[in-house]
Amino acid sequence: MNEENILEVKDLHVDIHMTEGLLTAVRGVNFEMKKGETLGLVGESGCGKSLTCKAILGINDKKCVPSGQILFDSEGLGKVDLLSLDQKGQEIRSIRGKEISMIFQEPMVAFSPMYTIGNQINEATRLHITKDKKKSKEISMEVMRKVGIANVEKRYNQYPHEFSGGMLQRALIAMALVCNPKMLIADEPTTALDVTIQAQILELMKSLQKDFNMAILFITHDLGVVAKMCDRVAVMYLGKIVESADASEIYANPQHPYTRGLIGSVHKIGSKKEERLFSIEGTVPLAMNLPKACGFYDRCDARIEGLCDKAEPDLVEVAPGHKIACFNCPHEACKAQRAKVEADLKGEAIPKKEEGGKA
Amino acid sequence: MMWKKKKKQKSNEDYYLASQWTLMGRKLKKHKLAKLSMLILLILYLGALFADFLAPYSLEEFDALYKNSAPTSIHVMHEGKFVGPFVYKQEKVINKADFSVTISEDTSEYYKLKFFVHGPEYKILGLIPCDLHLFGVGQGSNGGTGAKIMLFGTDTLGRDIFSRVLLGSRISLTIPFASAIISFFLGVTIGSISGYFGGAIDIVIQRIIEVIGAVPQIPLWMALSAAIPPGISTIKMYFYITIILSFINWTGMARVVRGKFLSLKNEDYVMAARLSGVSTWKIIWKHLVPGFMSYLIVSITLGIPGSIVGETSMSYLGLGIKSPATSWGVLLQEASSVTDVASNPHKLIPIIFVTIAVLAFNFLGDGIRDAADPYK
Amino acid sequence: MEENASKSKSMHEDLPKKTLWESVCDFFKKDLVQYIVKRLLMFIPTLLLISILVFFVIQLPPGDYVSAHIAALATEGEIVDADYAAQLRADYGLDLPIHEQYIKWIKDIIWTPTDSTYYRLYGSHHNWKYSFAYGKDVWDVVDDRLGLTILVTAIIMIFQYAVSLPIAVYASTHQYSVGDYISSVIGFLGAAIPNFILAIVLMYLSYKWTGNANVGLFSQEMLQNGVHLYNFGEFLKRMIIPIIVIGTSGTCGIIRSVRAQMLDEVGRQYTLTARAKGVPERTIVMKYCFRAAINPTVSGLGGVLSSLFSGSTVTAMVLNMQIQGPVLLKALQAQDMYLAGAIVMVQAVLVVVGILLSDIALAFLDPRIRYSGGGR
Repeated sequence: MNEENILEVKDLHVDIHMTEGLLTAVRGVNFEMKKGETLGLVGESGCGKSLTCKAILGINDKKCVPSGQILFDSEGLGKVDLLSLDQKGQEIRSIRGKEISMIFQEPMVAFSPMYTIGNQINEATRLHITKDKKKSKEISMEVMRKVGIANVEKRYNQYPHEFSGGMLQRALIAMALVCNPKMLIADEPTTALDVTIQAQILELMKSLQKDFNMAILFITHDLGVVAKMCDRVAVMYLGKIVESADASEIYANPQHPYTRGLIGSVHKIGSKKEERLFSIEGTVPLAMNLPKACGFYDRCDARIEGLCDKAEPDLVEVAPGHKIACFNCPHEACKAQRAKVEADLKGEAIPKKEEGGKA
Repeated sequence: MMWKKKKKQKSNEDYYLASQWTLMGRKLKKHKLAKLSMLILLILYLGALFADFLAPYSLEEFDALYKNSAPTSIHVMHEGKFVGPFVYKQEKVINKADFSVTISEDTSEYYKLKFFVHGPEYKILGLIPCDLHLFGVGQGSNGGTGAKIMLFGTDTLGRDIFSRVLLGSRISLTIPFASAIISFFLGVTIGSISGYFGGAIDIVIQRIIEVIGAVPQIPLWMALSAAIPPGISTIKMYFYITIILSFINWTGMARVVRGKFLSLKNEDYVMAARLSGVSTWKIIWKHLVPGFMSYLIVSITLGIPGSIVGETSMSYLGLGIKSPATSWGVLLQEASSVTDVASNPHKLIPIIFVTIAVLAFNFLGDGIRDAADPYK
Repeated sequence: MEENASKSKSMHEDLPKKTLWESVCDFFKKDLVQYIVKRLLMFIPTLLLISILVFFVIQLPPGDYVSAHIAALATEGEIVDADYAAQLRADYGLDLPIHEQYIKWIKDIIWTPTDSTYYRLYGSHHNWKYSFAYGKDVWDVVDDRLGLTILVTAIIMIFQYAVSLPIAVYASTHQYSVGDYISSVIGFLGAAIPNFILAIVLMYLSYKWTGNANVGLFSQEMLQNGVHLYNFGEFLKRMIIPIIVIGTSGTCGIIRSVRAQMLDEVGRQYTLTARAKGVPERTIVMKYCFRAAINPTVSGLGGVLSSLFSGSTVTAMVLNMQIQGPVLLKALQAQDMYLAGAIVMVQAVLVVVGILLSDIALAFLDPRIRYSGGGR
């Protein structure tokens, strides 16, 4: 594990056991995060973003079984593979909320309606920092103040239904930050909020990131938010990362057809009036009994018949820090992969078609 | 390759275009327990429909020789010889010394079981007169008569419990069903009025529902059935009991419907219908009720078992169906004390039917509920 | 910052210094008192409607109370002259129009003036009329067994919750495990077998195993000497069968609904939030899920009480328990309608009080209800 990395995800798979069969929703995801940086994980609904980040904390549903490696540079436990820990055990619980915490998409349902906001924030403090009631309450109130909740003395004793959506998201952030974690996972934290509140929350997160010096894994389907928040971006499609690069690079120079499509579908100020917004044809296929082919094949405008429907490309580095997984790319590294796969396909076309994707 | 894809697409399209009911039906087919329950209910109801034909004896036919006798045993070997299924005639021997009675089988003569024998007259489906019965006992091997087959044994008067269970199921299985349908219409109508109009009407209806719901069911039931005049015809009695059941059961349905109406009546499609001049009645039945029909069917199905147990309890206490009309509850009156049960355990057989019917309705209701749940 | 609510401005200004007692006072002053007052006000029309329903029930049987009374006297060989009958009719107000009869009936129950014959005879201001089946004042008959009825019901209710809540929590946290299946199968069976049959079978088993059928709540010795501490154990022993019989069906219902509720809560987003905070599984289940899941259970308390009265009515007759059920049956069979009406009314009022208490308890438990002002 690299010294400056806080998190390394290696070949992460998440299988969902359903009555209809086995669905592999995350199919070999690799990425790493440096200390204090913000990584954006972008993709359509159902591409496996949320499952990936839940797998990090080990809070997946019973039906979802993750495999692979998630290495984390923990204060308490040193460098550990989070997946190897007992998902209900004491060790992973000492990391959850304390070293890695998470904020969720819908603040309105993230709190239990039965307890006051203060009680629920304080629970994390009491679990991880101090058992002292008075002290922990002070710490909790302090963090509530930091996230911009006014009149904290009163707010502390109020119930979730007395809060507005924006305020609840602030409270949720306070709950996540109360133990001063080294890493924050934000699962579409602004999706359920209206636009002005969105901007406020994003600003708040940015400034808090500086104060707390956290790494943020930012999950979203909103490219505008990514541009505002992230240092690096990884684009996911059908359980795989198809392109990853610095945020500025990916906007200036998207390489994968899917990324190009995503960026093309964002409305830009100053574009020609008559121009229609680009949209990607079709829908994401169901990740069950997938054929050995590029997952984007059906919807791709740059597909190569006879290749993309026979093999799946791997991530290759096309520029420093910029990786894509596509056969149809003029770059040298991609061409090399394509040539190798084509040769492999030819070689084994007659006997069997076992390998091909993972060359 | 192409046609395969097209086929896949078509089946996909079928899936997306299928109506709510088709989808529910498909899911229900996968629910094994619900399917089994449906089969059992079908058998029970067919049994009730053709009870006259299936039962070897009529409701009131009795035989003093067979008082309180256990189920007749069916033999196949007579004096070491195979003769096919047959029964022996029952015989009572009175011990002159202490006047104790021993019941035994008269093995001198065997009576073969026969299919399609002539017996008491009845009308098929109430229309065509007929006297054929599915099975019965033929003449004795030496030309004797009077042997009976009592599959489930007999009651104190010597009536065949098997026949009575079958004939009694006509009342026990249809009253809850009929009352469920009546309370369905009552509940939907009153509940929708309450939910749709709101205001003072709603408050009054809500109070009434609360009150009927608050009064403990069986005492209320008992009090209401005490009002049934004695000595009325079976049909009238049937009618009264059904009304009483529906009167008590509609409130649950009305509450559900009202809740659904409150949440649906402000939907755009209702507004659109209202603006284009559709009548209130039509909006309720055409636009709103179908929206939560599946939910209602579940509550009906799950409501029936309660009525079956309720009717049985009431008749058992002598406050529901009264003799000579016969339901399962009436049959169970024979098992009203410990001594009855101890000496004649076969008199508990009707309870097996009650239990099976109740379980089948419960499992079916559960299955429909699972099938109707779009999130599963 | 944005929507600082104005409603509780004064409430929390000096919060950090406040003692527990003060916050309790604050809590009561505001919403809860309002809520309770509102519920109490709703209690009055409910009572009124119950009394109308009961009066309706009293009126239902053919013929009036006095003719039933006279018929009863006649069977005992007393000859009643026409003057006495007319006198009785006038006393009971039976010659008045129906609405005036109702008003007279309810007025007599609420307050019988000091100068009335009734007060001079019985020394009570509440005239519930006379029970000819028992030859006593109606209220004396009701009061005789009221305490025991409430005691028995309370014991069974405690048993139900003590058994069903742990099982429900277990079943929901171990969904589809063997224990879950066993509990649901027993649950279904318990609901499917009518109480009275279960009672008889258990009595029979008890008789077979211990030689004592345990009929009735009191032994001969208790009836003579009364229930004291030394024979309270015997009383509890005699409660076992009633508890099992009456308790089981309700227990199954509670297990089913709490289990479903728990499964619902376990899937909620806030459990994920709590887990992400590092909260142990056990705490998540007990502090969050169970806490939320018991709310509907608490609000269903009134319904449970109602079904207990229903269940105990039938079972009490089979088990010969000295509670109100058998009295009701006797009253109904004799058409002693004022007594029957009084029992139904007392039970209904108890249930409504139960609902009221559960609503108030719910307001304590669920912060959302306090603020929205309740209403179900």
